[in-house]
Amino acid sequence: MGRWQKVVITASMVAFVALLALALSAGGLGFTLPAGRVRDVARWYLFTTFNPDLELFSAMAPEGVTSIVWDYRGLDTLFETAVFFLAIIGSVAIMRDIKTGGGSKPKGSTGLSPIVKTVTRITVGIILAVAASIALHGHLTPGGGFQGGATAAVAPLLILVIFSRYYIERLGVSKNAMLAIRSLGLVGIAVTAFIVLAVTSLQGGVAYVFQNQPKPYAPAGMPYEVGGSLTGGTLLLFNIFEMFAVSAGFTIIFLLLAIPESEVLGVLRGGEDGH
Amino acid sequence: MPSYETFVMGVLAILGLVSMVAAILAILERDLVKAVIFSAIQSTAYAFMYYLLMAPDIALVYIPVAIGLYPAVVLFLIKKTERYEGD
Amino acid sequence: MAININSYLFTVLTLAIFMNLAISLYGIFARPSLIKKIIALTILADTANTLAIMVGYRGWPSPSQPVKPPVLTVLKPSREVIKEFASTSVDPLPQALVLTAIVIGLAVTLFLVFLTLQIYRLYGTTDVRKVAKLRG
Repeated sequence: MGRWQKVVITASMVAFVALLALALSAGGLGFTLPAGRVRDVARWYLFTTFNPDLELFSAMAPEGVTSIVWDYRGLDTLFETAVFFLAIIGSVAIMRDIKTGGGSKPKGSTGLSPIVKTVTRITVGIILAVAASIALHGHLTPGGGFQGGATAAVAPLLILVIFSRYYIERLGVSKNAMLAIRSLGLVGIAVTAFIVLAVTSLQGGVAYVFQNQPKPYAPAGMPYEVGGSLTGGTLLLFNIFEMFAVSAGFTIIFLLLAIPESEVLGVLRGGEDGH
Repeated sequence: MPSYETFVMGVLAILGLVSMVAAILAILERDLVKAVIFSAIQSTAYAFMYYLLMAPDIALVYIPVAIGLYPAVVLFLIKKTERYEGD
Repeated sequence: MAININSYLFTVLTLAIFMNLAISLYGIFARPSLIKKIIALTILADTANTLAIMVGYRGWPSPSQPVKPPVLTVLKPSREVIKEFASTSVDPLPQALVLTAIVIGLAVTLFLVFLTLQIYRLYGTTDVRKVAKLRG
């Protein structure tokens, strides 16, 4: 790297941080820190997230963040899920032609000591239960599909490190199975996005894509409570499917990362020989 | 007169300084394994910060991602490549 | 005077976050190792997310009335409950945006990890200075 390049990079970094600091001191975050009130759009979100008086404008879920993620700005989240999908598929494409299967049963004992393995057997169940709880209560308490999926993805990572690749394969967690679960989650998200529109169109009404609750001029919607318990309409379905998509996606990455380098290099060399 | 809000803000400021020190150490450390651990310490400070900034959703997603999955993946990467930065 | 102390402490936090921004930018531009660049990139992303959360934070309405997370805890809320909720809760919009940004940031980081791994397999190094000297 030339000296002038270094000077230019350093100067631009200093200028960037200085400009941000200037914007801050000129009131970019408000003149008193922290600000005494929230913005008007935030007030509107807070007013309508669960408001039986304004039923035509409300998301009817007491969790503000989840209702923004999957109702007010549901299309944003759909495209963010698409970015997530592309990143995972890109990683899978780099590792194409390389088998994730553990092969034959390894000789002797693999992984860490029996104490660690016994503790892990208990912990994995707890982790999966907590993840399911976070995801299924996402429309009521802090949590949701992304949080539950990220928590559930810790469990296969633990099994992979503490037991072995062979063991996790025997449990049925293979790359193709995870890709299937992941596709199932994405299909579920797509179906949930269109379900109100599809059902209403068949009955001759009008509805929006990503509609959850009844809106002005589109009086159809999912029920927000079933038998007296809140379901949040489509939010519950979105959370469940997103949990499957996120946890299966991360599990694929860990399975690919756990392949020993010797196998990968063998496949790469084979490819260079005109295979 | 100091109140509970002052206490919350003080803890936030301390967490900010801790995260700053951890980030400096993570960037300057030549042993990449130690750099990942410093980065995880910085993430821990951020996780507490999210909790105090009244964002429980973010804390729930940030703890498994930034303290569990991400250091594990980078440690996998370091195990497969090089441990020390530079010559 | 309590308000001034609080503002001072919050400003200390803000300046620490800005320092983290500068440090991680230095790490991305100036450190030679690709793995170190990935670590710096995650610090940069987390710092930007934290800044977004801080924009959504609000001061306490009064010393006895703490701010709350944007979650309504009453099942059949009346009009007064909703009004009080809207006047004490923090902004949920930055939290919703950051929530997805963290998960997608991790997915993109994993993609970068695989690219780095592939570079190491093909060139035998993760040092960008050495990779730049190699041809083909």
